[in-house]
Amino acid sequence: MADANGTLIKMEGVKKVFYTDEVETHALEEIHLEIKKGQYISIAGPSGCGKSTLLSILGLLDSPSGGSYWLNGQPVAELSTSERTRIRNREIGFIFQAFNLIGDLTVYENVELPLTYRGSGAAERKQKVQNALERVGMAHRLRHYPSQLSGGQQQRVAVARALVGDPLILMADEPTGNLDSKNGEAVMELLRDLHRNGATICMVTHDQRYANFADRSIHLFDGRITEETQEAHASA
Amino acid sequence: MNTLLNDIRFGLRMLWKHRLASLICAVALGLGIGATAAMFSMAEGFLLHPVPFQEAGRIVALVDTRPQESILMNAIAPATFLDWQAQAKSFDQLGAYDWNEVNLTGERDPQRIQGFNITANLFSLLGVQPALGRSFLPEEEQLGNNQEIILGHGLWERRYASDPAILGKSIKVDGKAFTVVGVMAKGFDFPKPAEAWMPMTITDKHRVQRDSRYLWVLGHLKPGVSDAQASAEMLTLRQRQATDFPDSYKGWQLRVMSLRRFAAGDLTPQFMFLLLGATGFVLLIACADVANVQFARVTGRQKELAVRTAIGATRSRIVRQLLVESVLLSIVGAVLGLFLAHWLLALLLQHMPPDVAKFIAGWNTIRLDAGAFCFTLAIAVASGLLSGVAPALLISRTNISETLKESGRGASSGRTRHRLRSALVIAEVTLSLVLLVGAGLLVKGFHALLTVNDYSHPETLLTLSVNLPEVRYAQQETRQSFDDRVLQQVASLPHVQSVALATTIPYANGGGADTDTFSIEDRAPERRNDLPSALIQTVSPNFFSMMNIALREGRLFSGSDGSSTLPVAVISESLAHRYFPGQDPLGRKIKAGAPDSTSPWLSIAGVVADVHYSWINKEYIPTLYTLYNQSPKLYTSVIVRTDGQPLSFVPAVRSQIASVDPDLPIFNIKPLDVVIAESIVGIAYVAALMGAIGVIALILASVGVYGVMSYSVSERTHEIGIRMAMGATRGEIQRLIVGNGMLLTFIGITIGMPIAYAMAYALSSLIFGVTARDPLSFIGLPLLLGSVALLASYLPARRALRVDPLIALRYE
Repeated sequence: MADANGTLIKMEGVKKVFYTDEVETHALEEIHLEIKKGQYISIAGPSGCGKSTLLSILGLLDSPSGGSYWLNGQPVAELSTSERTRIRNREIGFIFQAFNLIGDLTVYENVELPLTYRGSGAAERKQKVQNALERVGMAHRLRHYPSQLSGGQQQRVAVARALVGDPLILMADEPTGNLDSKNGEAVMELLRDLHRNGATICMVTHDQRYANFADRSIHLFDGRITEETQEAHASA
Repeated sequence: MNTLLNDIRFGLRMLWKHRLASLICAVALGLGIGATAAMFSMAEGFLLHPVPFQEAGRIVALVDTRPQESILMNAIAPATFLDWQAQAKSFDQLGAYDWNEVNLTGERDPQRIQGFNITANLFSLLGVQPALGRSFLPEEEQLGNNQEIILGHGLWERRYASDPAILGKSIKVDGKAFTVVGVMAKGFDFPKPAEAWMPMTITDKHRVQRDSRYLWVLGHLKPGVSDAQASAEMLTLRQRQATDFPDSYKGWQLRVMSLRRFAAGDLTPQFMFLLLGATGFVLLIACADVANVQFARVTGRQKELAVRTAIGATRSRIVRQLLVESVLLSIVGAVLGLFLAHWLLALLLQHMPPDVAKFIAGWNTIRLDAGAFCFTLAIAVASGLLSGVAPALLISRTNISETLKESGRGASSGRTRHRLRSALVIAEVTLSLVLLVGAGLLVKGFHALLTVNDYSHPETLLTLSVNLPEVRYAQQETRQSFDDRVLQQVASLPHVQSVALATTIPYANGGGADTDTFSIEDRAPERRNDLPSALIQTVSPNFFSMMNIALREGRLFSGSDGSSTLPVAVISESLAHRYFPGQDPLGRKIKAGAPDSTSPWLSIAGVVADVHYSWINKEYIPTLYTLYNQSPKLYTSVIVRTDGQPLSFVPAVRSQIASVDPDLPIFNIKPLDVVIAESIVGIAYVAALMGAIGVIALILASVGVYGVMSYSVSERTHEIGIRMAMGATRGEIQRLIVGNGMLLTFIGITIGMPIAYAMAYALSSLIFGVTARDPLSFIGLPLLLGSVALLASYLPARRALRVDPLIALRYE
């Protein structure tokens, strides 16, 4: 649950440094960020500015080199590996640019996967998978394999997989990056619908058109937040 | 459970998806598991079920040993046995037996059978009863009452047509009338290869003997008494005996061993453990191969595994899934392995000559039973875990966020993986070298045993044995007359080139050769037990020329030597070297037995080359040759040099001997080359199996080198492209890949050489003809392994040459 102010994510002075052969690369510097429950935030910026690194840290796939990060009021630095795994499984839903569906699993099995790792019962899994696929309009493709679907359909399935566990926040990393404009639009519409129904979304994009779908945009440049804007439709 | 089923389902799907790789892995594991399962079944038969008695675990054998002479199992003297019967408290029964081959005569054709004299309680001690009739009664151990016999089931079927009224009938055993009192159940042949049993009588004269060791003693432990307690008690009793009779027990030690261990003997377990170890190595090599394939496979699935991790799969869950896949693979391998083991065992059982199999305890119990099935399943699971654990653990540590990026390589642990894969190949090469050298040495040893007596041209020699019944041949003259007439009659046959007599045929009777004590004049031992021992071979004068045994010194026996002339002996070179070092043995006096024995002193007339009489003995056995007409024996063998197929002479030879004594059974009728081949069939089996294991190891190791080099080329396509773009020649690229493969091979061989040498050293003390410094094994086999590895590296290197720099540089 979010805290009393509805803050789901809070970062203070977060930085990330990569070390390669004794060369330090500062990917993120002094990131201060707060995301409240129900917000739809986009992180934009040019290639290499640190967008995906920030999203990885937000999604607990990576750890910051410094600063503080609270997720749902809990300091992330104190979490063990297994606690981070548990939180990724229960509280975060991921949508990747390359869909990252498992080619050897059917649509149903791909969407079912987070619930399987959570240890949910078969009946519960079945119902939730069905619901998630219906929400993204893919319930008729249960037995198909990813390779039998179009890019747009694959990303819908990925969205269903992200949704199926009722996460607190959806993390989307360039969700339209591998799609043509028509399918890209469709996926963005889908995310907007989810947001309208209460989902908290954090999306990385380099495309300003899609950044505008969010009600709040932050811009990164050379690992720093250089600008933050509230979209006009934010309160709509 | 549900999630495990999911993992299994997905695992099967992955195996099917990568069918070729799965098949290669399954075949590799199948070879390893199948060979190990087959060896386990044999070991189970030899070591766990060599005796089919329910109470086998409560029965121990009490044997004497003489470690300083490498005698690990020796019989017990009657007085020792009687002491134990009177004093030992650990056993509710102590029984004994001794071997007594006898002739069955009478209405039917004379037949030689394997008989045993047993104490009346032996069957009840073993927990068996005759299927027909009864066991012996205690009073039947008395001299004069001991004319009963119990027949083995096979003998009853073959000789007496399963006569249901056989009980109470009288049959002729060595010319004396024995009453049949029982018939044993089918399959019972303890002690192997028993065909009949007679009561054992220990005469008053024997009751006090402590030096003549001929009884094999078994004891059944009392309830609640452990092996250790019984051992402690028996060792105390032995100490007391040694104090009271120091001459008789000096140098001898008591060994208390389980009946199973006793029945299995000493050599069988040694070779069995060698083979089990070798197949275990093959299994390890197969696991290393599969681990390498798994490394390649899971590396290709990094993204999938990163996705799973991102959406909540724990590390242990990922590891479990990968292990499930590799265990499934090994179970497929186990199924193939069971078929292989079944086929291998059928092949082994089918080709063992019955004359040899009857001597091997546990041979009849070898089969793929429930125990072997469970063992196979266990090693399959273990192999799956072993081959899957390293790839699973390494891949589960991959950097997720890097891997999930569209272009992410996620190869943070790439170097570790590479090192591990290289280490696996090195281990494979090391193990293969050890196995190849072991196989090479055994094959060489077998070949040496097979050919050591070739100079005598055994393929044209017919050998057969006769045993003269004591009742009719008690007089020396009668025996000599028989021998002379046989020599004369057989020699008169057309196409027979020569005939000789000898008491010991090289490699006969399972390959062992019994030695006896002898004395040298003017060299009295300090104690009775310090007498030297030698094979005492009684031969006709032409034995040496017939066997092509070279004279080294002095003269051979001649026609003029006889019962009325000076008794003479010929000794072997090894006897001369051991007992007359730096001296001239000619003219020295020597005799069988102790200096005070009744046998005559023999003057040494000549020294001849050594003959390898026993494959069990690595060294030549010192041999003392005596002349047949100066000390004719009851037991003798006839050797006939033929000009054709020896077996075609059997009817004529048989008829000639029958013309001398029609009641005499002739047995062990075989050409000498067959005697030799059958005698070393056990070694042949071990050598053939080790040879097969060596070849499998070589193939698996080359597959391993090929796999790693091949994967390395795929991994380094980008690098190869850059090198080519920078101007590297084809030769340089080829050297890069081949050099890498050969470096791994060289390291593996370097590590393997000292291990192989240690094994060769151990084998050289076991087998004739094997030396630890064998150039073929230590130069030829590493070169062979290196050549195969070179080929296995060259093929991927050729593929590397086909890399198009333009495409490779676009490759991410």
